[in-house]
Formats: sequence, C-alpha cells, structure tokens
Amino acid sequence: MGVRRHSPIAPWLFGAPALIGLMLFLVLPFVMAVILTFTDQRLVSPRPGAFVGLRNYQRLLSVGALVQTPERSAAGAPVYARVRSITRGNRAYAGYRPLTAFRLGNRRVTVLATDPAFLQALGNTMLFAVLVVPLQCAMALGLALLVNAGLRGQTLFRAIFFSPVVMSMVIVSVVWAFLFNKDLGLFNQALGWISLGAVRPVDWLGNPATAMPAIVIMSAWQGAGFQMLILLAGLQGISQELYDAARLDGASAWQRFVHITLPGLRQTVLFVAVVTTIAALGLFTQVDVMTGGGPRGTTATVMFEAVRHGVREENIAYGATISVVYFALITLVIVVQQAIRRRRGGGVA
Amino acid sequence: MRGSGAPGAIIMTRVASLWRYMAAMPSLVPQPIRIDCVRRAVVLFGLLLGSCGPPPPRGDRIDLVLWKNQVGLDEAAITNVLIDRFNAGQHRWRVIAQSLPQGGYDQSIVAASLAGRMPCIVAVDSPMVARYAWAGHLRPLDGQVSAALLRRVSPAAVGRYGGHAYAVGQFDAALALYTRASILRRMHTRVPTLDRPWTGAEFQTLLERLKAEGAYRYPLDLATRDDKVSWWTYAFSPMLQSFGGDLIDRRTMTSAEGVLNGAPAQAFGAWFQALFAKGLVARAEPDENAFVKGRAAIAYSGDWWEPDFRKAWGSDLLVLPPPDFGHGVVIGGGSWQWAISRTCPHPDGAGAFITFMLQDKQIAAMSDASGNVPVTEHAAALSRDFGPHGQSRVFFELMRRFARQRPATPAFPTIANAFTFAMRDVMDGKDVHDSLDDATDDIDRALADTVGADDCGRARGAR
Repeated sequence: MGVRRHSPIAPWLFGAPALIGLMLFLVLPFVMAVILTFTDQRLVSPRPGAFVGLRNYQRLLSVGALVQTPERSAAGAPVYARVRSITRGNRAYAGYRPLTAFRLGNRRVTVLATDPAFLQALGNTMLFAVLVVPLQCAMALGLALLVNAGLRGQTLFRAIFFSPVVMSMVIVSVVWAFLFNKDLGLFNQALGWISLGAVRPVDWLGNPATAMPAIVIMSAWQGAGFQMLILLAGLQGISQELYDAARLDGASAWQRFVHITLPGLRQTVLFVAVVTTIAALGLFTQVDVMTGGGPRGTTATVMFEAVRHGVREENIAYGATISVVYFALITLVIVVQQAIRRRRGGGVA
Repeated sequence: MRGSGAPGAIIMTRVASLWRYMAAMPSLVPQPIRIDCVRRAVVLFGLLLGSCGPPPPRGDRIDLVLWKNQVGLDEAAITNVLIDRFNAGQHRWRVIAQSLPQGGYDQSIVAASLAGRMPCIVAVDSPMVARYAWAGHLRPLDGQVSAALLRRVSPAAVGRYGGHAYAVGQFDAALALYTRASILRRMHTRVPTLDRPWTGAEFQTLLERLKAEGAYRYPLDLATRDDKVSWWTYAFSPMLQSFGGDLIDRRTMTSAEGVLNGAPAQAFGAWFQALFAKGLVARAEPDENAFVKGRAAIAYSGDWWEPDFRKAWGSDLLVLPPPDFGHGVVIGGGSWQWAISRTCPHPDGAGAFITFMLQDKQIAAMSDASGNVPVTEHAAALSRDFGPHGQSRVFFELMRRFARQRPATPAFPTIANAFTFAMRDVMDGKDVHDSLDDATDDIDRALADTVGADDCGRARGAR
C-alpha cells in the first residue's frame, strides 16, 4: 500500500474535528444571529418572529441633532425648552433621546440618538480598554520582573500573584464591592486613617467619576497574574549572555532593562496587549455584579447592554443586533490596523 | 430523607426503560445470561432506591410531576409534608415533586416548554403568570379548580389573564415598615395603625429628625443594595401607586404614558431622589443587617425578615403599615402560585392537587410552618400565628387591606426592567422627568412590539 503524499482530502480530514466544532458552535450561531437581527423575534413568544427589515439597526444606530435658541433669559443664563418634551411631542423626532449637549454661541446643540445607552456603553467599553490594557500590562511586567529577580521564595510569590486568576470573577467582584463600600469599606477606612480623616469617604461605585476607574483597578488586579506568567516565559527566553555582555560593558540596570529586556520581550508584550484588549472588550461580569451598569449608565458596557436587552428583556433580536454591530466595529478596527501596518512595510507581525 | 424520593423514582423509570430497550434487541447479546443480569441489577438497584424513596405505586395510580422553585428549608419541608398528605389521602394520583434552583427557574420552564417536556404542575411567580399564559406554557384552571373556591382566595393571590384564572397561590407575602417602639417614643412620634398609617409628610419629618439627631448615618434602610429587578419592582412600584402613579395604565394595559411619567410619578421620583441626596437612605448598605445591628432606625422589607428582626429587638419591634403618600397604602401582592401546564395529560389530577392545597387546613399548616401569609379568611382564623390574636396577624391584615397585584401583562419583564433602571438612575441623580420618560418609551415600545392588537383585547378582558 503506497502512501499518497499530496492527497487533497487529508488536510480536511485531519482538520475536520476542529472545523466541525467551529462551524457548529461559532459560525452557525453567528449566521443565525445575523438573520435574527432582521426580525422581531422574542426569546419566548407564541408568535414566530416576523421580518422587519432594518428596524433593529435603525433603533440602535440613528443619531440626529437638535439646535435650540433660548426661550428667555433668567439671571443672565439662557433658558432652553426641555429637550425631552420636544422629541416626544414631535413626530420627526419620535424615538430620539438626548445623548449629550454643547453650547454654540447662545444656541444649544443637543446630540440625539435612538439608543443613547448603547452609544454610552460603547464609549464606556473603549474607555475601560484604554485604561485597563496599559495598567494591567505594566502591572504584569512589574510582577514578572519581581518574581524573576532571583529573590528568596519567588515560587511562592508566583503562586500568590497568580491566585486571583483562578478565583471566580463573581466572588472577586463581590469581595471588591465590600472593599469599595463608602462607609465601611477597607479602602476608605485606610484612606481616612492614613490622612488622619482629611480625605472624605469616596463612594467608589456610586460616583459616576470613580465607578469605572474602580472597576479598572479591580480588573487589572484580578487579571495581571495571567499576563505575568506569559511575560515570565518571555523573560526566561532572553539569553543570559546578552546581560553578561552588557554588564561587562558597564551598562546600568536601567540600561539593561531598556536595551535588552524590552526589545527581547517585544513579541510577548504585543501578544499580551492583544489578549488583554480582547478580554477588556468583553467586560461584563464585574459590571453586572458590582454596579449593574450604574451609576447613571457610566459603567454599562456593550456586552452588558446586549445581555440586558437580549436576555433580561427577552428581546433577542435587538440583543443580536448589538452583538453583530459590535463585531463589525471590532473587525473594522482590526482591518484598518492591519492595512496601516502593511503600508508601513511589515511591522512586527 | 424526604427529598430524595423524587429523583429516585425518576432514575428507576430510566433504568426500567433501559431494560426494555435491551430486551427489545435480543440479537445483540447472548440473551439468557445478559437479560438475567440486567434484570437482577435493576431489581437490586430498585431495592436500594426503594429503601430511601417513597413506597412504589400501588394499583393503578398515575404519576403527576410537579416543579417548584428551591425555597427556604421550612417552606420546602412543609410543601413535602402537604404533598405526602395529598398522596396518602386518595388512590388515583401520585404527585412527584422536583425542586429547581430559583436563579434559572424561568429559563428551565421556557426550555421545558419549547422541548415539549413540561411537568404537569408548576409553581409560577405571580408577575410571570400573564407571560406564561400568553406564551402558551399554561392552561386555564377553568373546570379543574372551582370558581367558588377561587373567590374565597384573596384577589392578589389569583393569577388571571385574558379573562381566565391560570394560577392560584397557597400563600402570599406582605411588605411592612419595621421600627422600634423606643425610637418612636424618643422622637415623640405617634405609632401609626392600619386604620391611620403615617402620611408621607409625617414619615418624611420623622426621617429628617432622625437624621438631624445624629445617631443614625442613614435612618432608613430600603434594601437598595439588592439591585435585582424583582425587588425594585416589588418594593417601589407600590410606593409609586400610593403617590397616584402606576407602572402602566391598567384601564387599557397598552401604555405607560401619563401614568409612569405624569405629575404624581414625578413627585414620587423627586421624593425618592431626595432620600439619597439628603442622606436619609444609603445607596448601598454594606450588608443586609442595617436594622438588626442598629445602624438604621427603620427598615422597609417583607414579612420574611420578621423572625430575624424579632430575635434582635424582641418586644421593642414594631411592624407598621407603609406610609400613605396620598392615594392609600399600597403593598405588592402575589407570591409563588400553582398552575397547570398546557401539555399536562391529566389536568383533573393537577386540579385535584391544587384544590387540596387550597383547603383551609393545608393553607394554615403552610403558614404556621413557613411564616408565609395565608390567603383565605378561614385559613388565617385556623392558623396559630395569623389568627385574630396571632403574633403575625398584622401581615394578614396588611395583605388583605393593601395588596395590589403587579400588572398582568406579557410585557412584564420589560416593564420591570425599565422601571428599575429608571429608579436606579433617579437614585443616582439623573433628571427625574427624563428618567421616567425613558422608562415610559421603553415600555410603550415593548407593548407595541410584543402585544399586538389581539392580545391587547384579551388583556383588557382580564381586568
């Protein structure tokens, strides 16, 4: 029996188990989700879903603007008519809600959207990613350098730093919600003690300005152990000879870090940053447990909105629309990024 | 162990069907030896299970599977006792109870219904009855549970939709204000009664004086740390009703316009917002023991907290009606109720079971064992705790006088979500009118989307 070297079937045959899995659990559900977005399907309903065209996309993505001149002036400050009364009373603005407003001379321009909560959630998710990725990667790098420095008991510290990763995110979130509590939480008590009562208690999760940073800090703490492990592997892959040669040339510890460690870790850091970004864009559990999207929607994320509409309000078609639009946005970002990199002539990858 | 009976029976039927399957394929195995082995194994296994499960069915009893949500130990135990009583009291039916985790209960019902594998009898949370009826999971109780019997039950404990009763509860719950007699004496505040509850102004004055006194950082605990939609709707929509608003217009059941965002609702929202702005209520208490530990002077909570509060404060504890904000005291009505699934092949058996559970004697037994509020006058009179001089009588009075059902509409999940999100925004300082307009628009759109013209007509008939 001769072995055919170039059988066209063989690669498919070997790939089949994985491919079938991917088709069944990734591609097929996604195609179904895309179909759902054109219907008014509910999660449970005695009626089958009907085709509604682009209605879900219109409801999700429509934006507009309302320009107002002041009605009168009270104590020097211009007074405008209530936006919500105008949008609810005028058919042309039916379904629109204010997203944000700014002043242009004495006119007030209100940006309207049919689903401002989604746009706010999109902004929140990007903000979270922008804050958490550098913080978490820096923390992970610091920890990796620390446990790679040849200090005593470093295996124990590796285990300690990694332990939050294996804990359930729900449990970590519940515990941190206690730590962040305004009146009895550890952070405020510590702050008050250190400052001898000068720092007023901060309502970490109840204040729109601090809620997202609080979640960022907690998420970075929880996830950094995983990135630490990958960076540690990268660190140990850098040849010791380079360090020895640098030492002979009289390079300081900082020079060795900048000129040997960082370039040597370039690929690893890139990988870690990509993995962290992907995880950051899927932020859900912390928000659901710690803030429920509040206060005033400042911690709601895209995934949270998708679950809220799709599952909790049982409007699965709208939830699917959010997911599909989100997928398209992320794909767009990646395609643009790749195109720029290719134009620059290869880049890293 | 009582609870192990049901799963044991299921496994036995599974093993029996496996044996039948093997027996039907004799060519596969050397028949005499193998079948004998299997049969012996089944008999042994059955004996093993039989030793801890209920006795095997005698004669031609028909099994009725029942699903209920997992509840507290006392309620679970008394439910099993009542089911055993029913099984022992007649020879036609045998009810087999299965408990499902409460967190995923709704999904389990939906999944079972889609798969055509609903049990015969199901426990349903009161605000979900209309949705289940609309989605076709349930069949009306008509002809199975007599109308005369349903009339004896307090109205909030009967789940109606489209002109039919679909579910009926054996018990209800009640919301109350809890405080301590010593605090009211110190504040020189009168003790409100069921006939003369506090007015909104009296209540507000008391809270502000308690705050000014300085002993309490947050005088009132509204359990707002619990951000579950079910609590926010159950606890705060009655307050909205007492102000004169509502979740939706109950005359048409097709819109929330003017009701959820009208002047009374805005007054309610402004009052609610001020509670947090003035520091009368904590946005999120660190735990649920603010009242027990003396951090809060007044707690707004359900009858299920009474045992803990009683243990903490003894005879100093006062159980009071919630304030009347202008349109009477209102508390939420309707707890878990029994219903018959659409696919149940023996609705008469399920009806017999529900009729049995509604006997005054069984209701009283449930209430005394679990602390749940009985739903008929006679059962309350029979009960030790809810009788005319019982220690929990006040909850029965609260329920009988003030309970109002949440709106019976299939759009309830959206209504509850929209209301909760709006109130949480209000709590966090968002413009009250805007928040209520948002909720109103969400609800009206969902009502227009899900409940078409035909369903609206049915919902109207349900009133």
